[in-house]
Amino acid sequence: MKCRRVEKLIPLYIGGDLTSGTADRVTSHLEWCGRCNWLADEFKESHDWLKSGEEPVFDETALNAFKAGVLRRIPETSAKPSLMSSLMQHWSRRQIFALAAAALIIFGIVALYVYQSRARNSVPVPKRAESNPNEEPGRPDVQRPDVGKDKAQVAGLPKQRHPSQRRVYANARNRRPALAKRTAVHTGVQASAARASVPSLNSTAHFGGSPAMLRIEIQTSDPNIRIIWFAPKETDSHQAKPATD
Amino acid sequence: MPGEVADIALMTDSLGLCDRSSKAASVPVAPVVERAKAGDPAAFEELIDCYQRKVLSTAWRMLGNREDAYDAAQEVFLRVHKYLSGFHSDQDFAAWLYRIIVNVCRDHIRKRGNRHDFASFESELEAGSIQALASGEDVEANAIRSQQRAMIADALDTLSTKERAALVLRDLEGLSTEEVARVLGSSQATVRSQISSARTKIRQYRDRLLNRTRRG
Repeated sequence: MKCRRVEKLIPLYIGGDLTSGTADRVTSHLEWCGRCNWLADEFKESHDWLKSGEEPVFDETALNAFKAGVLRRIPETSAKPSLMSSLMQHWSRRQIFALAAAALIIFGIVALYVYQSRARNSVPVPKRAESNPNEEPGRPDVQRPDVGKDKAQVAGLPKQRHPSQRRVYANARNRRPALAKRTAVHTGVQASAARASVPSLNSTAHFGGSPAMLRIEIQTSDPNIRIIWFAPKETDSHQAKPATD
Repeated sequence: MPGEVADIALMTDSLGLCDRSSKAASVPVAPVVERAKAGDPAAFEELIDCYQRKVLSTAWRMLGNREDAYDAAQEVFLRVHKYLSGFHSDQDFAAWLYRIIVNVCRDHIRKRGNRHDFASFESELEAGSIQALASGEDVEANAIRSQQRAMIADALDTLSTKERAALVLRDLEGLSTEEVARVLGSSQATVRSQISSARTKIRQYRDRLLNRTRRG
């Protein structure tokens, strides 16, 4: 055994903390190595010095006062047992941790389920077509709050959906029958809204004081661009001059 | 059956924590623990009588001063009272108690932070604890003993909390490495490493002290 190894073992050797085999090897090394032997003596003296400190002595008066102090404080602490201690009476700490972990997992699953159902519900609902009977002709539509609404429906034209909306609907229909049913309900609402808005077309038809004019709005894929047509009721709509904003 | 009870009694104080000089020493520990667990206040008082000296001295060695040791020892018995219902009869009561002592002392050290209140000889003289606590015949011998104790407390102050706990239990309380490992909840290898490091630091402290004395 080398000195370097023995030096590391000496602190344990002097306290009898080595296995018998290792201790024997250290002993045989110390018999011929003066330096390690000196180090072992140093450690032994230090160890004896530490153990020489007598145990503190307490007189009876101090101990009685101590005991009285403990007994006085017991009702204070036992009056309000903590939740943990009351649980500990029935379960071990390991069981409590297992229970807490299980509760955490269940909570996580519920949270995930709620998150997913919310995400499903947040599929964009197409805006209802609304008519604006008091609409002023010639006023830029961009400033109006109803910009982007399906004016094509208002005009009785086939509804033009945003491509992304169409895609979402397609996905939604493929996803679940219930969802498809719900989407169908939405579509029905739009249709009824469009039907309800038909009379308002008559009011918008009085453009420029002429009851013969018909206003047709077409919403492009860009929500900021809308094509508005004013055409005489009797004349061909292709001859009318388009007005855009 | 009585043999079993005796076995349990031996098992519950296998570390010899109970003060054999006290009046409660003649009573086996296990039945007392069982009665205290059932809520008998007299049994709990017996437990205090039995263990208070050992708890106080261990806490003193762990914390280094009298005031903290008294506070910690009180806290130890309060925790024993609080958690006794969770103690199983097949457990080693002394080991369980040692674990509480170590935990309470660690909490105390944590609360205390960097504030070092380890007893010096002068501070013990000022506090009057030397006269009050020592049982010696003459004041001079008591003073030497107290000085020795204060120096050892200073030496222990050089150790980390874990090293200190391991060394106090192994060298001053006389527990085996296996028992220390069980009390501290560590492996034996860890405890050996802590003890080795602690003994090296104590030797270095003593060397410095001796060099200072020689120069002085």
